[in-house]
Amino acid sequence: MGAAAPPTLVALHRAGVGHGRRPLLTGVELSVTAGDFLAMVGPNGGGKTTVLRSLLGALPLLSGRRELPRPLRVGYVPQRDHVDAIWPLTAGEVVLMGRTPGLGILHRPGPGDRRAGAEALARVGIGDLAERRYRDLSGGQRQRTLIARALAADPELLAVDEPTNGMDPAAELSTMDVLRDLHAGGALAVVMVSHRLDAVANYARSLAFVDHERGIFQVGSLEEMLRPGPLSALYGRAVEVREVGGRWLVQPVSGGRP
Amino acid sequence: MSGLGSFLAAREIWQSPLAASVLAGALLGFLGVYVVLRRTVFVSAALTQISTVGLVVGLFLEERLHVEAEHAHHQLGMAMGFAVVGALLLGALRPRRLPAEATVGAAWVAASAAVVLGISKLVHASHDLGGMVFGNAVAVPDDELWMIGAVALLCAVLHLAFAKEIAFASFDPETATALGLRVRGWDAVLSLTVGLAIPASARALGALPVFALLTLPASAALLLGLRFRAVFALATLLGVLAAAGGYLVSWFAETPTGATMVLLAALALLPGALRRAKA
Repeated sequence: MGAAAPPTLVALHRAGVGHGRRPLLTGVELSVTAGDFLAMVGPNGGGKTTVLRSLLGALPLLSGRRELPRPLRVGYVPQRDHVDAIWPLTAGEVVLMGRTPGLGILHRPGPGDRRAGAEALARVGIGDLAERRYRDLSGGQRQRTLIARALAADPELLAVDEPTNGMDPAAELSTMDVLRDLHAGGALAVVMVSHRLDAVANYARSLAFVDHERGIFQVGSLEEMLRPGPLSALYGRAVEVREVGGRWLVQPVSGGRP
Repeated sequence: MSGLGSFLAAREIWQSPLAASVLAGALLGFLGVYVVLRRTVFVSAALTQISTVGLVVGLFLEERLHVEAEHAHHQLGMAMGFAVVGALLLGALRPRRLPAEATVGAAWVAASAAVVLGISKLVHASHDLGGMVFGNAVAVPDDELWMIGAVALLCAVLHLAFAKEIAFASFDPETATALGLRVRGWDAVLSLTVGLAIPASARALGALPVFALLTLPASAALLLGLRFRAVFALATLLGVLAAAGGYLVSWFAETPTGATMVLLAALALLPGALRRAKA
């Protein structure tokens, strides 16, 4: 052994994951280490979010075990449209909710919590929107608010579910840039879920392909996974990977009839 | 001034119902903010009917089986049991094959029919259907007033102590769960408070005013575009004004009490609606 490997933050071993009694996927092996940037990719309804929630311990495993070497501070960013914008909360109030689990019952947020909230908003570039209504924000600004809420708890692991769903290309790029900058800034590990490989291939260091319909759960480094074998297994057809101007482009090959 | 003079002279008659209206208005106005924001307005309507079934069952047991249930707290206990179990069941039972509103609609319509059937089988005419559903708030016995007060106090303590947990679990249960909050537990605390507040108020005010006070003050406050905490404060105040104001107006104008409360609460929607129309 050479240089010490980064410590494992959380891992699943031979895990059966799913809701109810019947597992969606079995034999899931997944390990997240400090500084990781893992993207879980697969079709909608393929089980990505289920794996993520099982990894976080929010969904009990049906078999196997979850390894958590020490208590872990987690930040969670749900899909934007899972958060009901009818609530009359400001961006600052939404972010402050991220401090709730760390505060403990019967403790109210104090000046230190408000400061942490304001800093989190500034880190994602919307420090000036703290007093604005969450419902009045654009899709990209809402996404940044939810990321800031996750950051407010000073997490070691940031779990992000479909952050660029329904965004225009410019908002998608700037949201992914925020995540990249946060990851580059320190020891923050990022695990994100996306149904679009091209949206994450230029940011992630490792990939997991997830599709319970076809019994696929495959994890590897970006180089291992962006190959014809794993890709055609995931998409069920030939897929071409090209590097253009330093960016990966992933496209299904139009072979004969679609 | 003779109207006012005779009103003041009749203090013995109105003081308990008026106090009950103030307490119930505040309680339902406050809880209504969660009811409206969580999109569970019709859950509260169903729960009101389910708790009324509890009242009718209590009266039925007393009349037919001679089970001791003549005191208000016996009947209220029965209504509360029904409402709390109903709230927990409606929260827990979410069949995948049905939209949530279908379950809630089924509960509401079945409970409403049970109330009508149950009352039709009661011999004593004193328990009329109109009073149960639309409210008469004429006589509120002392033990019933105490019960409303105790429920209001319990709800106030729970919601003051656990405000941030209940708000987080209601606003974004997915994230709250991922961060380790016991969302089902906090939901149960909220369901418990709503499930106690509805029957405690419904016996004095009637089912329709209770539904109105859970819906209209919160909607009026939300329409005004206030901040989160201010919405709770204003909804509580509007609940008191509609309930107590409705009682007083009905006294002087000799109108039906429950319907007067409901109409006053509905009037509270106007400023926010007009403001939105202008904007």
